Amino acid sequence: MEEDKEPAERRQGRRSFLQAFAAALGCGGMAIAANAVVREAVAAGSPPPIPNIPGYDWTKHHWAFGVDATKCIGCLRCVEACKAENEVARDAHHFRTWVERYVYLEGEDTPRIDSQADPVNISASGSEGEYRFANRYKDAKVDKAFFVPKLCNQCTHPACVQVCPTGATYKTEDGVVVIDHTYCIGCQYCVQACPYGARFFNAELKVTDKCTWCYHRITKGMLPACVEVCPVGARIFGDRNDMQSPISQFIKNNRVDVLRPETGNAPNVFYVGIDKDVD
Amino acid sequence: MEALFQAAPFTGYVYPNETVFPWGVLIVVYPYITGLVAGAFTVSSLYQVFGIQQVKPVAHFALLVSLCMMLFVPTPLLLHLGHPERAFNAVITPHWSSAMAMFGYFAGFYIILLLLETWFVFRPYIVHQAQQRKGLLAWFYRALSLGSYDLSEKAMRYDRKWIFALAVTGIPAAHGLHGYVGFIFGSLKSREWWSSDLMPAIFLFSAIISGTALLVVLYYVSCKLRKVPVDLDCIKGMAYTLWGFVMFTLLLELVEFGSLVYKGREGIDVIWEFITGPLIVPFFVLQLAIGAVIPIVWLSYMFWRRTTGNALVFGITMSALLVLFEVMMMRFNVVIGGQEIAKTGKGLLTFQWLLFDREGVLGAASVLIAPLVLLLVMVRLFPPWEDPKKALPH
Amino acid sequence: MPKHIVRLVLLILAFGVIGYAARTYFTANSYYEYGYYRGASVAEIALDKPKYQGTAYCQTCHAQQYADWSKGVHNSVVVGKIVKCEVCHGPAGRRDPPPGYINSATGPVHPDNVKLVVPTDTVKLCTQCHEQMPGRPQGQPQIVVATHAGTTQCTTCHNPHSPRIIGAAAAATAPSGDAAVGKAKAEASNCAACHGPAGVSENLPGPSLAGQKAAYLVGAFKAYKTGARGNPVMAGMVGGLSDADIGNLAAFYAGSSCKSTRNGEKKAAAAGQAIVSKCAACHGIAGISAQPAWPNLAGQSVNYLVDALQSYKNGGRKDATMSGITKDLSDADAANLAAYFSNANCK
Repeated sequence: MEEDKEPAERRQGRRSFLQAFAAALGCGGMAIAANAVVREAVAAGSPPPIPNIPGYDWTKHHWAFGVDATKCIGCLRCVEACKAENEVARDAHHFRTWVERYVYLEGEDTPRIDSQADPVNISASGSEGEYRFANRYKDAKVDKAFFVPKLCNQCTHPACVQVCPTGATYKTEDGVVVIDHTYCIGCQYCVQACPYGARFFNAELKVTDKCTWCYHRITKGMLPACVEVCPVGARIFGDRNDMQSPISQFIKNNRVDVLRPETGNAPNVFYVGIDKDVD
Repeated sequence: MEALFQAAPFTGYVYPNETVFPWGVLIVVYPYITGLVAGAFTVSSLYQVFGIQQVKPVAHFALLVSLCMMLFVPTPLLLHLGHPERAFNAVITPHWSSAMAMFGYFAGFYIILLLLETWFVFRPYIVHQAQQRKGLLAWFYRALSLGSYDLSEKAMRYDRKWIFALAVTGIPAAHGLHGYVGFIFGSLKSREWWSSDLMPAIFLFSAIISGTALLVVLYYVSCKLRKVPVDLDCIKGMAYTLWGFVMFTLLLELVEFGSLVYKGREGIDVIWEFITGPLIVPFFVLQLAIGAVIPIVWLSYMFWRRTTGNALVFGITMSALLVLFEVMMMRFNVVIGGQEIAKTGKGLLTFQWLLFDREGVLGAASVLIAPLVLLLVMVRLFPPWEDPKKALPH
Repeated sequence: MPKHIVRLVLLILAFGVIGYAARTYFTANSYYEYGYYRGASVAEIALDKPKYQGTAYCQTCHAQQYADWSKGVHNSVVVGKIVKCEVCHGPAGRRDPPPGYINSATGPVHPDNVKLVVPTDTVKLCTQCHEQMPGRPQGQPQIVVATHAGTTQCTTCHNPHSPRIIGAAAAATAPSGDAAVGKAKAEASNCAACHGPAGVSENLPGPSLAGQKAAYLVGAFKAYKTGARGNPVMAGMVGGLSDADIGNLAAFYAGSSCKSTRNGEKKAAAAGQAIVSKCAACHGIAGISAQPAWPNLAGQSVNYLVDALQSYKNGGRKDATMSGITKDLSDADAANLAAYFSNANCK
């Protein structure tokens, strides 16, 4: 009968569907269970709770950086040292740290700003690998002038970490934003996101790069290379957990500023002696 | 030896790291292609979801166009990456706060949606071909049919339900897809030119107009190739869609631009210098005047005068070409223009054009042409035209 | 449900399961350990080898330079201006000198089997910090290069490890004396036997003292007394002198009218004039020096001057600046310079 065939067919169809669905669920369930078992096993022989850095516990430090722009003489030893220490490309377009010069000429309201990467200064230095400020204003009527060193601010709420699609850049527990060069895919979204221009594309490794406060040095009790070589003490580094550290004293004894506070990134490089036009 | 990077000259003060542009023409092409996907899908949905019979002739074709474009969306991204072999890092360990990671999943979901909808729409044809063909292609169709030749009324009912569900899901998915692309730019705090709440909306609506315009042009070309008269109702339907959305897009772009200039935040002097200097031709002349105002005026005139026949078809197709150009200029002015304004707010850079480089114009042009080549293949494999006799001979 | 729908759903589910399994399989082991990143990379980054080593590292092998530096003005701990070794020499054990630097030809070998990197152009290097430039704080010692010493290398006059020229300091403490008492003391001590009456020595064993800078003479007396300058005759002569005596004698000789010896050969003197710029910075172009602590050379006996230069060169007389200048001075040049100064008009 026609009426009998329909229900039978429908029943058959439903049965086969249910069988297939059950099979699919079973397979999926087994896969998920296997995955969970593997994760348990991994967790049982689990790695140490802190990174395996000999003699260093990252939970015990809270690094910060200070810049005293009233002392900077624009000698650019810091730029040289950083490039040597961190094997940064020796050209005029990739810098982990740099120095800006602000010059107010008499009768002018806005400062003339240049950095060591400016073509005039590069030609004064002799080559793209040497850095020097050309004495451009020696015959001009200078009202006010000063130098401002800059580097990555290792923000508390870094925009660069927020936008990284793979998690290749991240903030360590002790306050430094670093990049995993074996994981970065080189999309350069973080380069776009940084409001301070601190990040750049490393053309040789084909990943992004930036100042790490010489993480490989500070975890051994040394100072970042730029702080180590600054001859006039314009760069200050230390542990905020230690009230007697240079940076804690620097922050305590001075009215400190940060760059572009309106971004909400909460930078951790504290400036003394910058001006309204510095940002 | 190929230069490792291209350094840009500048005026004023820029951060030392800014002299190398991170994103080039490939990143101009990527939102363009993504936009074409969303736009073409919108036209297809006008029929599938809203039942607008006027655009029925191009509905299936629109789906194919959308699919071809979508398959090539990852291409400019992969070409741009420093390590394309690690591209899946963003998929296996996505950093959810990143718009780019979210976009990866949105795009993945959308590819599957498009594949499914195309499959459902063309299933009758696939089944038919699987049963009748001989040779290698026969195996292709048989695999696609999933071994089921069921074209009964019950099966077709299920198919129609699925198509409808997919099309309905596809609208917010497509809009989310391209809205996300806009969000990638609009959410950044670092560039005044990009940072805007309107950016996702602008990208989305310009995407819709680009897709619609592409469909107009391709429909016209395909009619000519098939030696078939253009369906005036259909092309007029698409033209109305285009006309409405172009006006709204232009409004959004002008509001965003006007807002930026009016607010006059810090750094506005340099932005003003940029607008009244390097940007005059690309933005005011090419993007706005030629790409937006002329099509609006032309279309308005034709609708007002009730133009018909060849003049109408010509006018609509030309307007569509201009709109395609406008959207390309818009992407260019946003991506490249944004990077030409230094983050310092005190300097301007000049983009360096490359030709044969990985980030060069030729590479970008090939990425733009490739989906059209794929489309040529697809329309032979899955003829989208209603009357099989009107399909391309194969 | 139609077959094809069932199969499609199964296909999608299978795809999902495979995708999830692949994601789990390919996720790096240490990912998610501390956050949304590969936990193992923290240690990888931290374990890079530092290149800059700090000053203590250099002390072991470069003890002399370290000693100079630690007492010198480039190590002003109180003021907070410290120019560490690696500031000018680059990181210890550097293998690839950047432009403007070379590996030194002499000296100890570093652990990486290279020698110390030294700058080739000290004018370029030193003026990076010391060129007068708007923007540099006033507390930074700055010079206008063109008027300071032109293109002369900075190390000509300055010891880079202890750059402050000490003479200026000594000048401030030069005591004044009574010339008349000094004259009597000179006669009593028979200084004239070697230095001539009123300090004008022509072919006598000792150099002319007439018209010489008082502060320099005081310094010389003191050096003989302490043995810093080794000369048995002079040691005996000044052994019994008090500070007052020294002051008086210096005043007497400084006030005496001088007479140029002029025993330099004319051709040699002309040759000496051509290369005198390195001496002129301190001793004056005419041999009359600008600072009280730097001796006049004009009109001095050529033999004495040559002797003095040789002494500085071989370490018989010790002075940071002079030893630097005479290090690469050839015998011929020394003779020519001596001739030039000898023939100059004294004051």
